[in-house]
Amino acid sequence: MNLFSFNIVKSTLSNIKSNKQLFLLSVATNFIAFTVLGLFFLLFVNLNMLFSSWDKHIQLIVYLDDKISNSNKKKIELLFNSNNKIKSIVFISRDQAWKSFRGKFSSKSKFITSLNFNPLPDSYTLRFASGPDRLKNIRVFSEKINNEKGIESVEYGEKWISRFEQFMIFLRGFILTFGVVLFSGMILIISNTIKLSIYSRKDEIDLMSLLGATHRFVKAPLLLEGVLQGVMGALLSLASVKLVHLYIIFQFQGSLQSIFRGFDFNYLTNPIIYSIITTGVIIGFLGSSFSANQFLNRRNLE
Amino acid sequence: MIKVFNLYKSYGGISPVLLDITFDIQEGEFVFLTGQSGAGKTTLFKVLFGWEKFDRGQILVGGINVGKLNEKNLYQLRRKVGIVFQDYKLLSKKTVFENVAFAQQIIGADMKTVRTKTWNALKNVGLVKKKDSYPSQLSGGEQQRVSIARAIVNDPELILADEPTGNLDSEISREILALFEKINQQGKTIIIATHSTEILRKKERRHLLLKGGKLHQS
Repeated sequence: MNLFSFNIVKSTLSNIKSNKQLFLLSVATNFIAFTVLGLFFLLFVNLNMLFSSWDKHIQLIVYLDDKISNSNKKKIELLFNSNNKIKSIVFISRDQAWKSFRGKFSSKSKFITSLNFNPLPDSYTLRFASGPDRLKNIRVFSEKINNEKGIESVEYGEKWISRFEQFMIFLRGFILTFGVVLFSGMILIISNTIKLSIYSRKDEIDLMSLLGATHRFVKAPLLLEGVLQGVMGALLSLASVKLVHLYIIFQFQGSLQSIFRGFDFNYLTNPIIYSIITTGVIIGFLGSSFSANQFLNRRNLE
Repeated sequence: MIKVFNLYKSYGGISPVLLDITFDIQEGEFVFLTGQSGAGKTTLFKVLFGWEKFDRGQILVGGINVGKLNEKNLYQLRRKVGIVFQDYKLLSKKTVFENVAFAQQIIGADMKTVRTKTWNALKNVGLVKKKDSYPSQLSGGEQQRVSIARAIVNDPELILADEPTGNLDSEISREILALFEKINQQGKTIIIATHSTEILRKKERRHLLLKGGKLHQS
């Protein structure tokens, strides 16, 4: 560490020491704000994971018209085979479907056993290759074949998928808006804390300028103090979100696993963790910069 | 050392605080800046060390054009100037030694240099024995000596002292002036702002009289 850095660190620590309460208050406020944001991210990450795990199970079922001609059936099979995104094609005859349906539900409803005809059509179950565009491929293909002659309907749970997607878009928008509001609020808090810190040491800072300290030398400890406030708030919030994560796993993991097959409740992803820490740095830097610049450039204003 | 040409400075009122001031001070000179309270002495000092801007004119201090300096390079001027204030401006939580060393630390001097120079400055003003005292434990004269030690510790070419004896009795004032003369003999240029006619009567030095914002004698 060179002499300049040593003096900056020393001066920053001395500032913090002489304004301990203000510093801690600012860290605490940032901690609360980042924790709220972190919890929203935790919800977002896990809903996203849940959606992805469901996405793997989504398959396209193509129901055929009862009166489909052999040539149309062959044409449809050709369409399936020509799509390289389709991983597997399983034909389920109406008899197989009826047998399976009755096996599953006849014990639950007498109506099913009393039916003396098979209401189900022949169908194909198509599984698509996994990948980020899987759902899109299913959607595009279903639209393409929906009006083909001989196809009664296609089904892949489109309604609830689009509802869930809309909810995720809303959640993303909400986090973004909420994040921007918190971001501005936290900049304001740090800026005011640094301002108070500056005014509590106004004589000393003025004296530094009068005795020939460089602008950088006067400003750097103030910036470092702001950055420390932001980073400490962010790190503490990550720790508290981790505690919430561990608590949920400890209390509810079993239930979650049984409700959502194979779903693990996850902690924040690395990019989100880095983003929160970086945001802490940026907020601290901007907040303290505003106040420091305002104070140092006030010559001739008094 | 200092060249001032047609200096104007106002605070937005009808009459300017400094009106067409022109003078120059040679290196190693000892000059009194006099005038009644409110004559513009402190404003002139503030303008000379870049604490306040001026409206018109030119100021050269040690070859630096003060009007051309911005916030970021003002330190170049301030390292050439040592400032002594009437109210001392000592940091109450620091000892005498730390107050003087502070001026060295903020210009980035290494620890060994800080110790040596601070020690020498304290020796120069006769305050070595009080190095561990806090300002509140010192008399007015002693506090002013600390302020002088802090002004000279960075070895500036020019010392500006604004009413350095304003809060002191005549005995202590004489000691402080003697100290300034000693520093002047070491080659430093000194300007003392004062409204005390007693000091002027006793010291036969060049003096600049400010009256109503104008420089009347030089």
